[in-house]
Amino acid sequence: MSVAATRPETIIELRDATREYRGHAGTVRALDSISLSVSRGEWLAIMGPSGSGKSTLVNLLGCLDRVDAGSVRIAGKDINTLSRKELDQFRAETVGFIFQQFHLIPYLSALENIMLAQYFHSMTDRKEAMAALERVGLGDRAGHLPSELSGGEQQRVCIARALINQPPVLLADEPTGNLDAANQQIVTGLLRSLNQLGHTILMVTHDPEMAQMADRIVELHHGRIVAEREVSLAPHTS
Amino acid sequence: MFPRLIMESFLRQRRRKLLAALAILLGTTAVTAMLAIGTSVGDKMNRELAAYGANIVVYPAADTLDVQEDGINIRPATAGSYLKEADLVKIKNIFWRNNITDISPELPLTVTVRTANATQQVPATGYWFHRTLRSGDESWTMGAPALHPWWKLHGSWPSDTGNAIPNEIAVGSDLARQLHLHLGDPLEVQNQSVRVAGIVSTGDATDRTLLVPLALAQAWMGRPGVVRRVYVSALTKPEDALARKDPNKLSPKMHDRWYCSPYANSIAYQIEETLPHTRAEQIRRIAQGESTVLSRISGLMLLVALAALLAAALAVAASMTTAIVERRQEIGLMRALGATRNTIAGLFFTEITLLALGGGLLGYLLGSLLAGRIGEQVFGSSIAFNPMLLPATLLLAVVVSLAGSAPSVWQAMKMEPATILREDA
Repeated sequence: MSVAATRPETIIELRDATREYRGHAGTVRALDSISLSVSRGEWLAIMGPSGSGKSTLVNLLGCLDRVDAGSVRIAGKDINTLSRKELDQFRAETVGFIFQQFHLIPYLSALENIMLAQYFHSMTDRKEAMAALERVGLGDRAGHLPSELSGGEQQRVCIARALINQPPVLLADEPTGNLDAANQQIVTGLLRSLNQLGHTILMVTHDPEMAQMADRIVELHHGRIVAEREVSLAPHTS
Repeated sequence: MFPRLIMESFLRQRRRKLLAALAILLGTTAVTAMLAIGTSVGDKMNRELAAYGANIVVYPAADTLDVQEDGINIRPATAGSYLKEADLVKIKNIFWRNNITDISPELPLTVTVRTANATQQVPATGYWFHRTLRSGDESWTMGAPALHPWWKLHGSWPSDTGNAIPNEIAVGSDLARQLHLHLGDPLEVQNQSVRVAGIVSTGDATDRTLLVPLALAQAWMGRPGVVRRVYVSALTKPEDALARKDPNKLSPKMHDRWYCSPYANSIAYQIEETLPHTRAEQIRRIAQGESTVLSRISGLMLLVALAALLAAALAVAASMTTAIVERRQEIGLMRALGATRNTIAGLFFTEITLLALGGGLLGYLLGSLLAGRIGEQVFGSSIAFNPMLLPATLLLAVVVSLAGSAPSVWQAMKMEPATILREDA
């Protein structure tokens, strides 16, 4: 077996990625020449205090923003070279979002919320959406509106929606931030099983315990990576 | 999924949608009413204005100049050329025949009148009073009374069948006073006994003349079947730049356009073509007056319609702005899930187009009813539903609604999902 064959494939690569925001008070450098690689199938936790650049990094990794300098390559594509329309399509195909606030459309049922992601990706498939819902244990809640679901159930719908188009990257922004302990455990378990199935997970969290679930933790401060460490004792059982 | 999103949007923001639809409805109601009145009453108004006299005069090309003194033509009756009465029906065969509302030939002459008290020379004019013209299956009743609706008649117009020499005349009010003539009085004109059927007050020199059936005037002149001049009343298009151009200097294409527009001078031109050896001229004072009045009325109507549409556009803009602010999260999420800017725009534009079509349809119906009421109350005649206005109204409703909502939708398109989704994080 060659060295190249054993080396894990890099799915995300940031090189000297810099993002600045210009305002009345001057220019703020939210990300300052960050370089970071994420391998396919890796679970990366991003930590840091408020204002450290986590949100900016998440926006770049979620193809919601572009760098001012440097480059961001996701699944082999430099997102700065994509047109706005191409980026929209690339985002739909490549990234699945799991939000802290769930962001479900309140007037659509759990099933329809999942089908919405299918619709913007390509075409809706009710059976497939139902299967995704069953996969997160909510097959019996398909017709329920978000307001009729608990926080944990809403987050599971959000995870099912993130998975429906089978994106190579899952971007979880404080996925358990709004959940009680029991639901935290369910969602954590789901993320772990997804990671075991080969999904790359990028997770922003303030919770050190949650971060311990990841393979690697990077810490940001003032737009720079100040610490990076492998999680050697990542618990793989709940 | 798209229809589901649209339907839900209608169901959820009912009050806001209703307000926007109401604004569109009011705007299109005003526009439909204005358009219906503009097109229908414009014609009626033109007809009414045309009723205040002729706008084209036709006379023989080789005619000598009339000699007028105090409004009375004193040129010898035998001088000059004549038109053939039998040819006049051809005027109703020109391209713009349906715009010809009246044809009134005149044959002026001087006659000797003998009453119980005196014998004197007085001016007389031969007219059609209620002459029926026929061409093919069509027939029209024409004559001087229709051309001069302000003439006040005491009694009745002389019988005027055109088949037999009549023995009734009308007398101008001043002349009747001077000759002490009353309704039903007999008198002798050119050695022929006639009876006064009516006394006419016109407010001009005609009050000092005899108004006689054309056939009688021709008989007295010894020139059957002739007329000196013909006044034509035609519905015309207000004069514009093209109308003022010399048709002989126009390119063939522009000439065709000019020819096929109902300008007073293009109708006159067609009359000349139909009646060889004649001159047909626009009576500019009246025609231009009509043009000015109609232009101003049309301008005013346009202004009102534009104001109504502007108000509708502003209302739609306000409604759409609020709706989009309320749906920021939804827009942000859709963009994050891969919706393009165009998808977002399509969603809102579809909504507003459906709203515009609904509001526009109701506006058309209400506007048509309103136009009918205005027509009856103001113009004394009904204005029928004009189906041609429906597509125009719907198109206007859609264009105005899209224009009104465009700035808000543009803002929605520019919304950054990253910013929106983290707003409540």
